[in-house]
Formats: sequence, structure tokens, C-alpha cells
Amino acid sequence: MRADRLSPVAWALVLLGAAIMLAPLVWTVLLSLKANAELVGNSGAALHGPYTLQNYAAIFGTSQTMRWLLNSAIVSLGTTAGVLVLCSLAGYGFARLDFPFRRTLFVLVLLGLAIPSQAVILPQHQLFATLHLHNSYPGLILPGLTTSFGVFFMTQYMKAIPTELDEAAMLDGASRFRVFWKVILPLTVPAQSALAVFTFLGSWNDYWWPLISATRSDMYTLTVGLAAAQMNYAQTSGLGFLMAQAVFASVPIFIVYLIFQRQIIQAMAGAALK
Amino acid sequence: MSAGVQRRWQGLLFVAPFLLLYCTILIYPLLKGAWLSLYRVDLFGGGTFVGLGNYGRLFADPVFWQSMANTLLLALMIVPLLTAIALALALALNRATRGAAILRGVFFSSAVLSVTIVTLIWRFVLAPDAGLLGELWTAAGWAPLPFLSDQSLVLPALAVTTIWWSVGFPMLLFLAGLQQIPHDMYEAAALDGAGRWTTFTKVTLPALKRTTILVFMLQTAAQLQLFGQSQLLTAGGPSGASRTAVLFLFESAFGRWELGYASAAAEVLFVLIVAVTLTQYALTGRPGADNAR
Amino acid sequence: MLLFAVLALSSCTRADDKTHVYLQRFFGECGAEYGGKTDVAKAEGECGIITTVTNAFNATDGKAVVDTNVIAWPGYPQLTAQMAARDPPDVVSMHENVISDYASKELLEPVEPYLKAAGLDAASFTKASQEGVTIGGRMYGLPWDTHGGLWHINTKLFAQAGLMRGGKPVLPSSPQELLTQARQFRKRTGKPYLIQSLVGDPAGAARNLYTYVMAQGQPVFPDARHLKVNTPEGRRVAEFFRQLTAEGLGTSNMDTPAAIAAFMSGEGGIYPTGTWMIGQFQQESATPGRPLYGSYAVMNYPRLWGQHVIYVGGHAWVVPKRERTPAQKAAIARLFRFMAQHNYDWARTGHLPAVTAVLDSPQFRALPHRADIAPLADIGRPLPGYVRRQSAVEGIVGEEMAGAITGQKSVPDALATAERRVNEFLAELD
Repeated sequence: MRADRLSPVAWALVLLGAAIMLAPLVWTVLLSLKANAELVGNSGAALHGPYTLQNYAAIFGTSQTMRWLLNSAIVSLGTTAGVLVLCSLAGYGFARLDFPFRRTLFVLVLLGLAIPSQAVILPQHQLFATLHLHNSYPGLILPGLTTSFGVFFMTQYMKAIPTELDEAAMLDGASRFRVFWKVILPLTVPAQSALAVFTFLGSWNDYWWPLISATRSDMYTLTVGLAAAQMNYAQTSGLGFLMAQAVFASVPIFIVYLIFQRQIIQAMAGAALK
Repeated sequence: MSAGVQRRWQGLLFVAPFLLLYCTILIYPLLKGAWLSLYRVDLFGGGTFVGLGNYGRLFADPVFWQSMANTLLLALMIVPLLTAIALALALALNRATRGAAILRGVFFSSAVLSVTIVTLIWRFVLAPDAGLLGELWTAAGWAPLPFLSDQSLVLPALAVTTIWWSVGFPMLLFLAGLQQIPHDMYEAAALDGAGRWTTFTKVTLPALKRTTILVFMLQTAAQLQLFGQSQLLTAGGPSGASRTAVLFLFESAFGRWELGYASAAAEVLFVLIVAVTLTQYALTGRPGADNAR
Repeated sequence: MLLFAVLALSSCTRADDKTHVYLQRFFGECGAEYGGKTDVAKAEGECGIITTVTNAFNATDGKAVVDTNVIAWPGYPQLTAQMAARDPPDVVSMHENVISDYASKELLEPVEPYLKAAGLDAASFTKASQEGVTIGGRMYGLPWDTHGGLWHINTKLFAQAGLMRGGKPVLPSSPQELLTQARQFRKRTGKPYLIQSLVGDPAGAARNLYTYVMAQGQPVFPDARHLKVNTPEGRRVAEFFRQLTAEGLGTSNMDTPAAIAAFMSGEGGIYPTGTWMIGQFQQESATPGRPLYGSYAVMNYPRLWGQHVIYVGGHAWVVPKRERTPAQKAAIARLFRFMAQHNYDWARTGHLPAVTAVLDSPQFRALPHRADIAPLADIGRPLPGYVRRQSAVEGIVGEEMAGAITGQKSVPDALATAERRVNEFLAELD
């Protein structure tokens, strides 16, 4: 962490930027606290009271909200865990070991960054139908595990770790897997945290795949469920409710970010001490 | 099996679990898409082999070209600016104070939102009649700008929305990159009496080269696939001025059930993204190679 | 492994001896308010009414249970995916203009056997709703409503503009008259005559073009493969709305929510949109203190050229093809009968009923504004059943038409482009 002081001009710019970041979010929260009827045709009403929690009550009133929240948590946590395991293993393999076709396979993985998900979603859907995986947790989790970015990120990160560390451990007679598990993995905690946050966010907010894969309402994720619960023209007649849904869906991931942010900073500070 | 051979294949064991899933769930559908692009086919089977017919039709379709041009323009507007802003923020907020920690959270906060929510919020910022900017413009005595219905304003509007939404993650990557710069490099620079600017250009920037290239390439690949903002804010309008390539293929596939045609568009976009990122890779000195050590 | 255990738990079997009918629909979820309620007459809004109708069926049928699956509007990507995976629901809500897509692929069952078993005569449905579900002489859905374009009118502003006579708004009967009245309106109120939602909403612009080209006696689709709007008739319509917009008599920068908000705040005279807004506008006009209080009327699109016909759509309930037991088929027929019996309740949403007897009933006519718009069920015209991908076509036509209205493209260019884009992909269908 740097200690020198930021110039006042720079501070002013950063604070202005922060205001631009926050204004729409504050606006969203204010709208979510207003009665729908008051906002019809006049969203400016959100700037003053009275405020109410009725929109949030309505979210919990929707019979299956808690089920959708659970589904989202299972899918996002499952995806995150899977990505961390698969990408750490693959990253170690690509960064440290030599094996036949290593470069070719790495390029193949990088190609994934260029594949628009909308381009493969229909063949993917057919594949999952053949495997009878729709309306199931594995069906919702598996597509999220094929992240080229994760492998690339972990590979780059592991490459930056000095090789002397594993060489010393190898001399002590440790197996490759043991070196990976005991020596390298603990050093990648900051990268793991960043990748975890990124994966969790992506999975939590994913819309199109769960929309066409989870078609039974007890398997909906929160994004799909909240969309299904909306009535026509919610933007005019149910603006407050819509915004409450937005806040409600975002709060869990914001909490996840806050938890991980502390870890990232600690891990980074730890790395910087060396 | 000799120890040498065993070691040679050991690496494959580490990458195999990922690659198996990756090939089944991503590469196989991609190849299937390439195969489908040679057919006139909808979602319900059958299909007629048309060779390169879909591609011929695509290259003669002005709507497709418009969507490709929009996509490239958006990437040009978004990627350099987004990278610069993220870098500036990382430099400003890479300090151990409580205020910096809070501000890092603030600049990351938009990244937790889904695209549906982002577009919902920004509609209320950009719409001339009810939007935040409209109110500000009116208060300043100007006529509100129709950001979402003017052909020359709509792409900048989408770009701003996207930058607002996406700035958090590149900032994190830059912060991580800054953390990896050894402290003694700064001490050495200070001993040499280097000023702030010299330290920045001679120490910080070179050390961040890999991260910068990483951010740039990732963002290029991601923004060339921009979809939700365009679909949800403007439905590609007005007159297709904000239709992106992915929205084009989405409309072909889900709206018109033209699976073969949509697949052809997807293949062209895929090749374009590979070409652009490979060019960047070649021009910037191969960040994937071991030049850092 | 844990995942598979959870999966196994989530797919546990139902343990009752009733026949299950799996119904999938949009219209939203309102289990909180209407979860256990069966009193249809007391329910309000699309979601409340359909929820209580199915609840009431479950409470009274005895032999069958409807399991409802609420899906995000409009639900077609999901339905298509379900069909591709060969696992479609039993009964699905569907817009009439997409029925041809599924019917032409033989993915839907013709419903005459169900209607017959339910004792419902095809002739008991209104003309517009019958046409909307009929393709190649077969009926592919239980007609549920007719919904189409209406002129929602602010009568306070109309009075200010001197355009009220005998408590009714004066509507034009020719393009020239419309221009004169719109200019007079603009001059006296300082506000636009027409509130047009042209941003991200192709349906409204397409509705104008379809309606007024049909009115001039020209078929919009002479055959299954050709859109025909770049004609003197089509150009006349586009030029007219372009002139209105250029003169500032119609708005050009609004999306749907902005247009709705503008109309409810009294920012314009007429908002042309669907039947579905009647309920909300009616509520506004009944609330003291609101800009629209006591000053709302709703009329059909006026006749401007030729005949008085209006392009309409509708909702229907379709039955996707799949293996079903005789008990399930009988249950679907009973559900259809029950729904048709509650068609009046559905019409309280603002949509026009699909059952002629309901449309003609004093009960329906007594609902606010319904007598004014009831003719729509007669003069309403869907596109011909042979036209496939109508919603994609509407997207293209609306986008180009909006470009012409706002002046982003010349009228002949926009209409020719619409024809080229539509004809090109219709030619690709097999």
C-alpha cells in the first residue's frame, strides 16, 4: 500500500467519480422504499418521504422467493467451488508442468474467451436435453464451470510465483500434487478470492441459461423467478416493487463482496510484507 | 512406465478435468454451431444443407454489417476509456487508509448488479422525459438530449452505461498488479531522486504492462460480445443504430428461429474476436509468454 | 455428490391420485395476495383473476389439479426450449400471433376435440378471436381475449382544445381532419396531440401501419412469403405520421414507460396503446388529485382511410403435442370449459372477451368504457394465419416504421427495407 498523499485535484476527481457511481444506486434504493402508486408518472417523489417497506414485504410474500434464493445460492456457490478447483488444477498444470500439446491446449482454452455465450446456448441446450440435465442443479452449474478466463487468470498468477519454491519442495521428495496443494495453493489466495468474487457475481446474475434450462418454477434462480413474478408494465405501475427486487437480488452478492474484499486486502498485504 | 514418461503425462492430469468439461460443454457446441451454419435449419430438426449459403446471405445483409460496425465502435469507445479509468482508480486507491477501502467498495459496487438491473437504472438516468440527466439539462436551461432515440447519441450512451457497470473488476486487477510491484523498486527510485511522474512512467507503468495488456484483451473480447445493454435499453434501436452483433444473432435464433443463419453470424463474430485479440497479443509482446521472468 | 442428493430431493414424486394438468403462463405471480383464494369475482388484475380462476378450478373439479408454472413474459424462448427437449407443459398461454409458428411445425394439438368434449361451439367465439387461433382451417387454441390498439384520451385536454361534443371526444374521420384537430389541440393546450412510444417498442408503430394499410383494402401479406407495404397505401400512412411528428403534433423520444407516464401526467391528448392499459388508466381517473382524475375516455382507432378495421391480437390457451392419458385429456377439456365460463371475469382486465355472449352481455357493457370499444371484436383483424414469425416480422416492420416516423430514414427507404428484411427471411422458411 502506498503512503504518499494524493493531490487535492485527484481527490476531487475520485470523489466526483464516486458520486457518479453512487447516485444511481441511492436513487434505486430510494425508489424501492416508495409506494408504487406514488411513483406512477412521477419518479421524483422518491426524493422525499413517506418511505415504506411494503415493496420488500411483497417480495417475501411471493410464495417461492426463499426457494429461488436458495437455488441461486446453491448454483452460485457450486459454480464458484467448481471453478476454483478446476481452474487451480489447470492453472498449475499450464504454468508449471510440461506435457504433450501444452501450448496447443492452452491456446484452445484461450479461444473460449472469444466464444459469445449466446452463440453456443442452443447447441448447449440440446446437449443438456439429451443428458436429461435440465431443471436440475448440475444442469445450472455445469455451463458456468467452463471459464477460460479462470484458467488463464490462475495460469498467469501461478507463473508469477518464483519456481524456487516448488523446486525446493520437490527436492524434499514431495509429489507434484503435494507441491501444488501445500506450497502453491496457499500462495494463490488473493487470486482465488478475486476469481471467486468474479465467478459468484457472474453466476448469481446469469439470466439466459437459467431462463431456458430451469423452466419449472421450483428450479428457478432468483433472477429468473423475480422476472417471472413481474406483471406487465411493471416499469410504470410497479416501479417501487421492481427496484426493491433489484436491491433484494443485489444485497447477497454485495455482502459476498464485502467478505471477500477484506480477505483480498489481507492476502495482498501479506504478499506485500514479504 | 518410466518416471520420465510419467512426469510428461502428469501435467495432463492437472488440466484434464477442466478440459473434459470445457470440450464437452463449450467446444462441442461451438463445433456443432459451425456445422449448423452450413444448414438451413430451425430448432426442430431436419434442415437442408446449403453449404456456404448462410454466409453469402450474411455478407449481403446490411443489417448484419451495421451490427458489426456498431459492435466495433462500442468496443473502441469502451475499452481504452475503461482501462484508463480503472488504472487511474487503482493508482489513486492503492493505499491503506480507511477512506480508500471504502472508495474501492464504492467503485466496485456497480459490478454486483445484473444487466437487467443496470439497464433498468440507466433507463431512468438517460430517458429525456423522466431521466436524471434530463432533469439536470432542464435545470440548466437546455433541452434534454434524447440519448436513447438519437442515432448518434445512442452508442455513447451505451458505452457510458457499460463503463459505469464494468469498471470494478479491471480496477481490482490493477490493484492486484500494483500489489505485486516489489517495494524496493520504489525505494530505489526514491534514492535516485526520481519525481512522482518519473517513478510512475519508469517503475509503475512497466511493471503493470502485463496487467494492462490482460485488462485490455479481456475487455476487448468481452465488449465485442456486448448484448444485454443493447437489448434491454434500446432493443437495438433507433433504426438499428445500437444493434450489436450478439443481439443480431440472438434475434435470428430466438426471434426468427433461424438457427443456421444465427450460427453463421456467431462463427463470423467468433473469428473476428479471435483475430482482434490475437493481433493485440502479437502487437503487445505476448503477455502469455514468460517475459515477466 | 451433495448436489445430486439435493437434486434427488427436489424431484420427489407427488402422492395423490388426482390427474395433474401442467399449466404454464405469463401474467405474473401473485401467490401472496391470491394464493389460496377462489373468489374470482373479487380478484383484480390479470394475475389476480387468472390465479383465482385456476384456484377455483382446483377447488371444484375434484378429479384434476392444475399445477401452475409462472414464467417470465413472454415465455417463448423457454417454451421453445421445452419443446426441443420434448418436455412441454399441457396448457400454455400464447399470443395468437405466434400460434402459427408452433402449429406449422406440428408442435400443437388442434383443440377441436377438447372444445367438443367441453361443449364449446367454435361459433360461440367472436370473429376476431376465432380468426386469431385458426390456421389452415383448424383451431389451435382456446380463444381467451382480443387485445389491440385503442386511443386512450385525456378528455380534460380535449375539452380545452374544443374537441368535446356531448361528453364524447371528437375524433377525426380523415387524415386532413386529424391534422386540423391536432394543430388546434397543440395551439390551445400547448401539448402534443399524440403521445407515441417509438423507442424500443416496435409494436405501436407496426400497429399503425398494419391497421391503416388494411383499412385501405390492401392486404399487408398477399401470401405467406411476402410483406407488401412499400405501396402508395403504405407510403401514405407513413408519410402522414411522419408529418405529424415533424410538426411536433406527436412525440418522438419516448419509450413505453415514458409514454405511459406522460399520458398519466396529462402531457398529451391521446396515447395509442393496447386494451391492457384500461384498468390502470381507469383507476387513475377515479383517484381524486391525479392529473387524469375524471378526464379519461378510450375509443377505437378512428377510421382515417377506407374501411374501419383495426389490427388486433389476442391471448389463447394452447395444448402442446405430447403423450397424454385419456384422464388428462378429459381434465384439459374440463379446464377449458371452466375458463370459458369465466371469460367475463377476464374481460374485467380491459381485454375484450373472446366469447360473443359475454361481449354482448349487459354485465360487460356496464363496465366503464366497454361499450365504446366493444366493436373492436368485430372490426378487429389479426394477420392471416398463414403468416409465420409474426412477432419477429412485427419487430422489423415496427423498427423501420419508427425510423420513417421519426425522420431517421426516408419513407420509401424505410418501407422498402422492411419488405426486403421480412421477405428475405420468410423465403428461408420451409
